[in-house]
Amino acid sequence: MSLDSSSSSSSGDEYIEENPNSNPKMVDERFEVLTLTEPVELESNHMGDGSDIVNGSLNRERNGGDEDDDRLQVENQEIFGEEGPSSPSSSGYAGERGSSSATSASRVDEASEIDDNEIREVRNDGSLEGISDSQASSWVPGKRHVDEDDASISWRKRKKHFFILSNSGKPIYSRYGDEHKLAGFSATLQAIISFVENGGDRVKLVKAGKHQVVFLVKGPIYLVCISCTEEPFESLKGQLELIYGQMILILTKSINRCFEKNPKFDMTPLLGGTDVVFSSLIHSFSWNPATFLHAYTCLPLAYATRQAAGAILQDVADSGVLFAILMCKHKVISLVGAQKASLHPDDMLLLSNFVMSSESFRTSESFSPICLPRYNPMAFLYAYVHFLDVDTYLMLLTTSSDAFYHLKDCRIRIEMVLLKSNVLSEVQRSMIDGGMRVEDLPIDPLPRFGSSPHLGHQRPPTDSPERPREPFIGIGGPAGLWHFIYRSIYLDQYVSSEFSPPLNSPRQQKRLYRAYQRLFASMHDKGIGPHKTQFRRDENYVLLCWVTQDFELYAAFDPLADKALAIKTCNRVCQWVKDVENEIFLQGASPFSW
Amino acid sequence: MASRRRMLLKVIILGDSGVGKTSLMNQYVNRKFSNQYKATIGADFLTKEVQFEDRIFTLQIWDTAGQERFQSLGVAFYRGADCCVLVYDVNVMKSFDHLNNWREEFLIQASPSDPENFPFVVLGNKVDVDGGNSRVVSEKKAKAWCASKGNIPYFETSAKEGFNVEAAFQCIAKNALKNEPEDEIYLPDTIDVGGGQQQRSSGCEC
Repeated sequence: MSLDSSSSSSSGDEYIEENPNSNPKMVDERFEVLTLTEPVELESNHMGDGSDIVNGSLNRERNGGDEDDDRLQVENQEIFGEEGPSSPSSSGYAGERGSSSATSASRVDEASEIDDNEIREVRNDGSLEGISDSQASSWVPGKRHVDEDDASISWRKRKKHFFILSNSGKPIYSRYGDEHKLAGFSATLQAIISFVENGGDRVKLVKAGKHQVVFLVKGPIYLVCISCTEEPFESLKGQLELIYGQMILILTKSINRCFEKNPKFDMTPLLGGTDVVFSSLIHSFSWNPATFLHAYTCLPLAYATRQAAGAILQDVADSGVLFAILMCKHKVISLVGAQKASLHPDDMLLLSNFVMSSESFRTSESFSPICLPRYNPMAFLYAYVHFLDVDTYLMLLTTSSDAFYHLKDCRIRIEMVLLKSNVLSEVQRSMIDGGMRVEDLPIDPLPRFGSSPHLGHQRPPTDSPERPREPFIGIGGPAGLWHFIYRSIYLDQYVSSEFSPPLNSPRQQKRLYRAYQRLFASMHDKGIGPHKTQFRRDENYVLLCWVTQDFELYAAFDPLADKALAIKTCNRVCQWVKDVENEIFLQGASPFSW
Repeated sequence: MASRRRMLLKVIILGDSGVGKTSLMNQYVNRKFSNQYKATIGADFLTKEVQFEDRIFTLQIWDTAGQERFQSLGVAFYRGADCCVLVYDVNVMKSFDHLNNWREEFLIQASPSDPENFPFVVLGNKVDVDGGNSRVVSEKKAKAWCASKGNIPYFETSAKEGFNVEAAFQCIAKNALKNEPEDEIYLPDTIDVGGGQQQRSSGCEC
């Protein structure tokens, strides 16, 4: 993701005065004349019949909406198949699933719940309903359905498969099923890839009915995704890139040398025990915006608190630590790099996923070799990892393999300072309070000064998040604003509002996530983009996206929201983010000059 | 984590079209035989779990097409093979004569690190046909050729009757295992930031 680091202002700065887009009316006019373009599905050079390519510029936004209606609807049936009260088998989509095996109605039930069972299993546990961020915490780690193979009907019906294999066709990882039992399937994948390679070409995408098969070749490593989730090709490809990055994080790219020396090389033993790391990463593809935004997010904290944390991290960074990172779950509290060293958001995502998904890091302080693929994919760094409490962990990265005791001393010092300066208790409080809520969007766009309460939460404490559930209009923020994500390009950070009613269920949240993902892909499409603004209305939402040099704003509104009002509200959101930027973003971190 | 490391062995089956490669594989994996001839297109893939000495491993069997028009697939298919099975029909002299071509072609395309000691197994198939009366390649002749190529293990099989098939594949597994190189310790470099200069991968500073 290249960006213009020369832009002088931080996110959203001065756009009220200077940016011509800031005038709501003008933005509105832009929408009137803008040519909206439907995302084009990319094809490989040779494969794919192209029959289901949706292509073409749509000159009327309403058309754009219609087009999208159809496609989203289909997706709804698939992903949220059992949501409706009507019998799942009544929709008649059994035939559409494209499986070669006979599909009975009872099978459809099974199929429709397959992709959701992560959420489902946990809901049986009861506790997490309606908590924002619930997807992050409710997922059950580890690989499931190990007993399956490619002959199992249940395996064939899974909506999204991921495979890693070697270029000799030996399986390395499969999201579902036992790798060894899938050896024949793995060989087939290699045969397809190699066949095209033999012709001096590369296969990128094969479409088969509703399924997309996406290929990524990384030297001797082949990665394949087979999906019927209707996610854009670019998104699926990005997910494969992250999976490859995760593998590099664990083993470095030196793995290529093993294959050069010995094509028979079987790397599964080297990845032993890392199933959970991959399955947790794959799970994050359905809830963590960082996986497609290529930006990280911060835990909201008072400016002084984050400064205090940053100061002590800087202190140890000066003593030979390459990176010092303090995180709470997937959110950054503070991070510091040695001079000139900068950390790519994707590396942060992969590193935090690695640490959070591996149970052993939680039980004791650890020292582990890791590789940051965007920093240097060829070589190891060493990570000292220590959990300060259940969710908060410190990572100190060094180049020295014998720095354990030094880093342990650093950690003890850091922990003491964090306790003394109440950073850890502030972190706990922020976890409970949550982040920005659309209900709190200031109606009056007057900038606030001084020490406002945490993120300017103005609701009295009695106003609990559990509001009465009314599925439709009238809930959410002003003008029907339901949710937003704001990504600061200069900071490489994003902020996402908490999920508020009516986005209560994990299923609705995942649907919105996918909608954002699609929106992101269409805004950044290299063939037809990039675009500056997009407004689309369908039966689920009004989605509004606005990209400037400084930021990207993604907002979801009630489907009946008024357009002019929605645009005005987006301007307010930007102003609001600007007002609280010192609390929600890490300022003055080492420059991210990627 | 698994208590014992499971291994996966890639086995390539080569030979002229119609010698019974697919039938041998079907007999071995599915214990089935069909008299009907169906040409393999490109390659078929089957897996079978095998126990050998107290270890369980998985055979990934690449049943390739014998027709010459598929030979261009070679490099891709042969890469990283652990064992190569050469099959001929004892009733067809040409299929025996071609074994040499198949072997050489494999060694060129797969370019194994130690071609002299790469594990092959030769199977003389269809010994059941006509009670052995139509046989044109004698066991002696076949064994002589195998001996000249570094003592390749030789088996006479009948895919139809299941004769010797299990034993042949046991030997295939054993040979593939023998060829397994010693585990090396995986030791990538550590980043060197000495002298205050950090290394960074190229092409990322955009």
